[in-house]
Amino acid sequence: MSSHPTTTAHPPWRGALGQGLRRVASLAGFLLRWVLPLYVATEILVRTGALHWLSGFLEPVMGLFKLPPEAAVVVCAGMLVNLYAAAAVAAPLNLTPEQVTVLGLMLGIAHNLVLEGAIVRQLSDRYRRLTLLRIGLGLAAGLAVAWML
Amino acid sequence: MDALSQWGPALWGAAGEGLILCAKILAILAPLMIGYELAKAYGVFQRPWPRLRPALGWIGLGPGSLVPLLAGLFLGLLYGAGILIAMSDDQGLGRRERLALAVFLVTCHAVVEDTAIFVLLGGSALWMLGSRLVLAVGLTVVLARWWKRPGG
Repeated sequence: MSSHPTTTAHPPWRGALGQGLRRVASLAGFLLRWVLPLYVATEILVRTGALHWLSGFLEPVMGLFKLPPEAAVVVCAGMLVNLYAAAAVAAPLNLTPEQVTVLGLMLGIAHNLVLEGAIVRQLSDRYRRLTLLRIGLGLAAGLAVAWML
Repeated sequence: MDALSQWGPALWGAAGEGLILCAKILAILAPLMIGYELAKAYGVFQRPWPRLRPALGWIGLGPGSLVPLLAGLFLGLLYGAGILIAMSDDQGLGRRERLALAVFLVTCHAVVEDTAIFVLLGGSALWMLGSRLVLAVGLTVVLARWWKRPGG
């Protein structure tokens, strides 16, 4: 990373502010395009009972983490897509603060595995093992905290 | 079954709640993103921060991995990827050091953003962030010791 000496008299904060605002605008676009529709879709699936019906078979597994079966969708969204997707799906579920903490820790460690895996690959050739480590560590940490809280 | 007439208001309500969630996420992250650009423009990330070096050695990392570590820790793997990969290459980090860096960062990165998203939903920052930090430091310390053992 290098600083960019500019020939114009603009102070550095101007360019930085512009760049920052562009990042914020692109995040806003992302949130509106993905998080908002996902939130509404989940709300519909929750209200119709479809989500409960679909995820019912996962009750024994999710119960280990003291989570409702519907939270399996949050875990999938977080691990495969990202934490914004997970939050959009988790918000309509009316989870307790403890349950949000368990999900936040699990997914904090293991999220966006496909895209981030591609970046880890550039850092270390053991990226496959590192991704398995994230999944194992995330699940173990979630399990431990679920029973500690 | 709900009457069909209830669906319109319910959908609008959900859309409103979804918008509020988006606005909250944006309100937390906008100052961070602009702050990061300002810090970058004023060269904060180019300072070597020598006081952190002993701590780095403890987790098996050399001084060259400080900037990539900070980039990943605060910006995350995706936003920080440019700095992370470029600096790791520039500083000539060895294979082991890159692996130690990767182990730390896959466990714990984007600490502000990731934590903020779930704090908004009611999660405990202490548990979510504290556990990740402890695990990341613990794993890298174990790895550093493993490499230092005779024959390692």
